[in-house]
Amino acid sequence: MTPVHFSFSSAFILGLMGLAFHRTHLLSALLCLEGMMLSLFIALALWALQFESTGFSTAPMLLLAFSACEASTGLALLVATARTHGTDRLQNLNLLQC
Amino acid sequence: MNPYVLMILLSSLGLGTTLTFASSHWLLAWMGLEINTLAITPLMAQHHHPRAVEATTKYFLTQATAAAMILFASTTNAWMTGEWSITDLSDPLANTMFMTALALKIGLAPMHFWMPEVLQGLDLLTGLILSTWQKLAPFALIIQTAQNIDPLLLTLLGVTSTLVGGWGGLNQTQLRKILAYSSIAHMGWMIIVIQYAPQLTLLALGTYIIMTSAAFLTLKMSLTTKVSTLATTWSKSPILTATTALVLLSLGGLPPLTGFMPKWLILQELTKQDLPIIATTMALAALISLYFYLRLCYAMTLTISPNTTNSTTPWRTQTTQASMPLALFTMATLGLLPMTPAILTLTT
Repeated sequence: MTPVHFSFSSAFILGLMGLAFHRTHLLSALLCLEGMMLSLFIALALWALQFESTGFSTAPMLLLAFSACEASTGLALLVATARTHGTDRLQNLNLLQC
Repeated sequence: MNPYVLMILLSSLGLGTTLTFASSHWLLAWMGLEINTLAITPLMAQHHHPRAVEATTKYFLTQATAAAMILFASTTNAWMTGEWSITDLSDPLANTMFMTALALKIGLAPMHFWMPEVLQGLDLLTGLILSTWQKLAPFALIIQTAQNIDPLLLTLLGVTSTLVGGWGGLNQTQLRKILAYSSIAHMGWMIIVIQYAPQLTLLALGTYIIMTSAAFLTLKMSLTTKVSTLATTWSKSPILTATTALVLLSLGGLPPLTGFMPKWLILQELTKQDLPIIATTMALAALISLYFYLRLCYAMTLTISPNTTNSTTPWRTQTTQASMPLALFTMATLGLLPMTPAILTLTT
């Protein structure tokens, strides 16, 4: 495992841990998701350098476009949740439990 | 919803699944999954209601996490081996992570908690899309990679899914939650056999899609979401009530109906592979599921609801809903068992 591999893996796993265990605000969950996507962006961009593959340089751009779409969907849902529930705290999302 | 917007969303839904089907590169497969998630999100949140928005948020968070984990697993594999093709997922760590993410995506047992809540917040047609069409793309990926995944992990996921799917549905009164637990149990049946006979997994997926479409369309036709409403459907449309009971028993897997076919073949395959204990556990777990289907049938056909119906005989009036898909799916749900030899010949 190279240092680069270790660093983006630990960044991803920290983001995942934050998403799984820090459950107070929806906004912090979305930020953790975005952090995971950015660590994947680093991983894909450096993979093309590491393996010297020229045909792979568009992949990080595609990933970035999709993660931007995902982040904007998440923010739209944040607004919708704030309008229907009055808050963005995740503990208020309890209407469907039983 | 505006019909043009609806058309764009539905065609993106189709595009996402087709992209995952057609791809051999992990990045394209991930893009297909993402398109699927992004396209169904507006469909789920189209009624601006607290429950719908909450269900959409929960669905979005789980699916986005699962998709990111899938891409991370394939990136790890690419850093280790330099391979991006789907069938070459050879790194064991990447394999396990991929299977966990996929279990989160389709709602297998330890990662199933989002499934009943999300399905409870949706209307019945979106719930139908969620529990049928959205399962196809993840299954296309798992069929291609299943041979490399640790058998112990797959067996654990399958057995816990069937057990939890039976157990969770026991005390429910909401029909959509019951259908969600039934989906979890059926996913367990599909996963348990995937390494021994992938064509049986596809067969089980196909019959599950037929049966659950029939169930959702029936509920949509009679506008029921609770057991108590289901108990008064006999006054709305008597024939639909009779077929509803049979559709539910078919989902439970009773012999003369279609639902028996995948269970029978999977149990036979497990016995052939010398796994009698797992086969017995699966059969017993199917009994727990059968209990709540039977309870629904009991409430619907063997009891008379204590409240009187004040409406004027609704079965006399023509319905405005399209009934042809319901008729087709119900016929397939009730009568495909004699086709078993033909289907087996075609798939193996």
